[in-house]
Amino acid sequence: MMNTYIKLSILFFGILFTSCTDVIEVEVPEAEPKLVVEASIDWEKGTDGSLQTIKLSLSTPYFDADQLNPVTEALVQVTNNSTGAVFNFVNQNDGTYTISSFVPVVGDEYSLEVVYNNETYTATETLMPVVDIDEVYQSLDQGFDKEALEVNVLFTDPVGIENFYLMKFQRQGGYLAELFDISDEFTDGNQMSVFYEDEEFVVGDLVDIHLYGISKQYYNYIRLLIEQSSDSGPFATIPAQLKGNCINTTNSENNAFGYFRLTQVSKESITFR
Amino acid sequence: MRKITLLFIVFSTFLYGQERHTINGTIKDFSNGETLFGASIFLKGTNIGVLSNEYGFYSLSAPKGNYTLVISYLGYKEVSKEVDLTIDQKFDIELEVNSTQLNEIVINSSDSEDVNIKKPQMSVLKLSQATIKQVPVVLGEVDILKTILMLPGVTNNGEGSSGFNVRGGAVDQNLVLLDEAIIYNTSHVFGFFSVFNADAIKDIKLYKGGIPAKFGGRVSSVLDVRQKDGNSKQFKLSGGVGLISSRLAIEAPLFKEKGSFIVAGRTSYANLYLPLMEEDIGVGFYDLNLKGNYSINENNRLYVSGYFGRDDMQFSDSFDNSYGNLSGNLRWNHIFSDKLFSNLSFIYSKYDYEFALKLFDFNWKSSITNYNLKYDFNYYANDALKLNFGTSLISYDFNPGVISPTSDTSSINYFELDQKRAFEAGFYISAEQKVSERFSLEYGLLYSMFNRLGGQKMALYENDLPVVYNEELGIYETGNIVGETDYSKSDKIATFDNFEPRLAMAYELNNMSSLKAGFSRTAQYIHLLSNTTNVTPVDVWTPSGQYVDPQLANQYSVGYYKNFKDDMFSVEVETYYKTVDNRIDYIDGADLIGNNYIEGEILNGESRSYGLEFLLRKTAGKFTGWFAYTLSKAEQRTLGGEAGGPGINNGDWYNSAFDRTHDFSITASYRLNKKWSLGANFVYQTGRPVTYPNGQYVYEGLSIASYSDRNSDRLPSYNRLDISATYVPNKKPNNRWKGEWVFGIYNAYNRRNAAAISFGQNVETGANEATRTAIFGIVPSASYNFKF
Repeated sequence: MMNTYIKLSILFFGILFTSCTDVIEVEVPEAEPKLVVEASIDWEKGTDGSLQTIKLSLSTPYFDADQLNPVTEALVQVTNNSTGAVFNFVNQNDGTYTISSFVPVVGDEYSLEVVYNNETYTATETLMPVVDIDEVYQSLDQGFDKEALEVNVLFTDPVGIENFYLMKFQRQGGYLAELFDISDEFTDGNQMSVFYEDEEFVVGDLVDIHLYGISKQYYNYIRLLIEQSSDSGPFATIPAQLKGNCINTTNSENNAFGYFRLTQVSKESITFR
Repeated sequence: MRKITLLFIVFSTFLYGQERHTINGTIKDFSNGETLFGASIFLKGTNIGVLSNEYGFYSLSAPKGNYTLVISYLGYKEVSKEVDLTIDQKFDIELEVNSTQLNEIVINSSDSEDVNIKKPQMSVLKLSQATIKQVPVVLGEVDILKTILMLPGVTNNGEGSSGFNVRGGAVDQNLVLLDEAIIYNTSHVFGFFSVFNADAIKDIKLYKGGIPAKFGGRVSSVLDVRQKDGNSKQFKLSGGVGLISSRLAIEAPLFKEKGSFIVAGRTSYANLYLPLMEEDIGVGFYDLNLKGNYSINENNRLYVSGYFGRDDMQFSDSFDNSYGNLSGNLRWNHIFSDKLFSNLSFIYSKYDYEFALKLFDFNWKSSITNYNLKYDFNYYANDALKLNFGTSLISYDFNPGVISPTSDTSSINYFELDQKRAFEAGFYISAEQKVSERFSLEYGLLYSMFNRLGGQKMALYENDLPVVYNEELGIYETGNIVGETDYSKSDKIATFDNFEPRLAMAYELNNMSSLKAGFSRTAQYIHLLSNTTNVTPVDVWTPSGQYVDPQLANQYSVGYYKNFKDDMFSVEVETYYKTVDNRIDYIDGADLIGNNYIEGEILNGESRSYGLEFLLRKTAGKFTGWFAYTLSKAEQRTLGGEAGGPGINNGDWYNSAFDRTHDFSITASYRLNKKWSLGANFVYQTGRPVTYPNGQYVYEGLSIASYSDRNSDRLPSYNRLDISATYVPNKKPNNRWKGEWVFGIYNAYNRRNAAAISFGQNVETGANEATRTAIFGIVPSASYNFKF
């Protein structure tokens, strides 16, 4: 979290120059398409977590108009390594693979196996717990911009253990999700407050809030993903290839993009009044 | 130590026994009493001559006889003096500014034309007091750093970047000294202005290679900036009023001309960028230079000098940030004998950075502080040999960061990153020697030593590996911490030492041309951690230690120098090859900020750079200026080493961020008449290496870029034209008030040079797009400068 704040301060330097930006045409290199695995097993608190979806697609050239190139001919299977239970996901022929009988257990280790194009991809992760959201409220006069609405989320970090969180704000109506990576390194055991402000927010807007408990390894992945997706202009970190946990066991040169994560998630929503 | 004994054997062969006498003294400017550094003093018709040192002191010896002593310095009238050398003598000489020539001299990249050919020192650029004010003006103010960027081998990351890069080196590889005090950040407002106020600066020297043995601690270059002593003849007021900033300097004699002082201040107007912003943002800077000196007697002189500079930025009420350098220096010049000059300095310097996020009720402070004791000696052994020797002891305190909550309700806990301490020592001896009529040598040895001191805990890693390669995921990760060692203040965490030989030689082909060659080995014990494309004020310095090795560089250079058309033109061609071992490189996604375990984010790599530099200058006539061209390559490679795996970027050599294949610049001034003079700069550079995406995929409903290999693409080329005009109204000869108007246009053809190109999704359409940040379009400026 601290790091995010300090990076935020670098972002402020970037803001200095926002008035000097324009969109230009740039020629970028094109790499061979790769498999993308979005295997997010998210167990919403208060449900049995039996309904799960895994998405598969191929990467495309950066400026392609069709960003999603679904993969419809793969086999997807998840195994609980502790119990040996096997969960076969059903191909929906639209790039999604679903199951309605998944059994999530906090702290259990699961492994994923995807077979696509005669190559096998595997990943292993542990299902991470999460605390409840204490409170969600709206405000106007806080945040960076005193005239913009923001949604505030409070939750309490368990003391004495290392925790990592992913928070997602999804404003309904076709807007892009806003992701925050959070670690308790400097806030261990405190009530944490996160806000999301957008000058476009208007009364009546509905925002869904997801608080995921995530592993340290996934935190490192998503932190870099978020950092590289935010624009900090001349003070940006040198970007790097994001490497997830989906390993190609047939051809180690051809690992998949994306991640196999298992999380517990607390959900809330707010409608601006 | 065998090398040192060898040196003395060489020296002793040059001590021949004939009756000899010594002339010594100090060279000063007649108009203001400022001592002159690098004036040439020689005996006409002989090969005997020296240059005045940093404090204007010179000494030379010759066999008994009658001589003509000639003192010359670029921009000043030459002085000749008949000398009957039968006894040791002292001549303090004051030189008068050659006013008819003043506007014609732009810059000299050597000490003086004649000596340029003879002296072994190469790869050096000098800007003297008389010429600093003549360089073309950028943004209404003379900016020394922007001027050196126009020279071959010196670049930066474009607008909005702090610091400068020399011969493919990083910003932290430059040793920047202001009156001997280390300056850790050379820029105001992210590089728009330099911290050097031209009103307070006497001269600067930039060593791109062939770094003399007296300097240590950085592997790329030394920028040696000296402040004015202050006018010791009369009260003087000077200053300027510009659109962005204003400045004022006061200098005056003290104690019946036995001393003098200068105080110079500069400030930008509040909320500098406010007109450019919709948001409520304020950016500003100010700085203050001070210096005083007092001559106790002929042989003893004291100096006190200081610098204080600050940048502030506020973003409405939510964010506050400020940073700056603070330095002070106490000096004692003592002349032991007519052949032995000494200077003792006690120097303090500090750079600190702080910000407060009021929104989250906390503040962050980080700093680097050092105390430095220096004792330097110049011994003028005989007409063929001059010895320089001395020592430098530096004690460092690093505060990588302290986070404090600023209210009871803050969710931030107080946290202090490990405070680090270190001690650096250097002992050097070097000789300037004339081996024959045509062949001169300058050679020396610096022994440097670095102790990382205790007083902190150090993490212990599994298998002693702070970074490990995760074979499965193909990524580098921080190793597992298995414990920690608590070092007390009297413990040493790590010790390093290095012998750093330096060698330079010159062979005169004829009176007009020479060949030179040089070698230098340099060690660097402290490093600036930065994995952003541009250095930011947040970046922290870290000392070498258990897991971070000192950087070691070897540089080889060869050059050809020629003056022609009565020294009106000169050509310099230099080529260099430089390697640096233990160059820190960052693992993908390295998180350096607020991190106590930075050793878990870095690997020790290596870098190499080579290039060809060409400089053609015209130093006399109505039209003066220079043309510079550099063809170069700068690369780096980081293997996995003990951490395992292939290394960064698959262990391949890749372009460093400072690689510029072509760098071409023209600087020109034209003196139209007594009232008007015109100036122009043009620069063209290959674009900076950057990393572009080579694909995208959808994750969490967002389009995520996948990136190609590090630095495998380039920004578009950088090019820019600046023009300026200076108008000096009719001046009455007796009027003490002298004013001038300076008008300028920066980036005259309004090129939108990319400081960065970033990739992301359009928030409305979701389509991917490339966004260019171009900081300055065309910028007109006007300022009024005055002297009284």
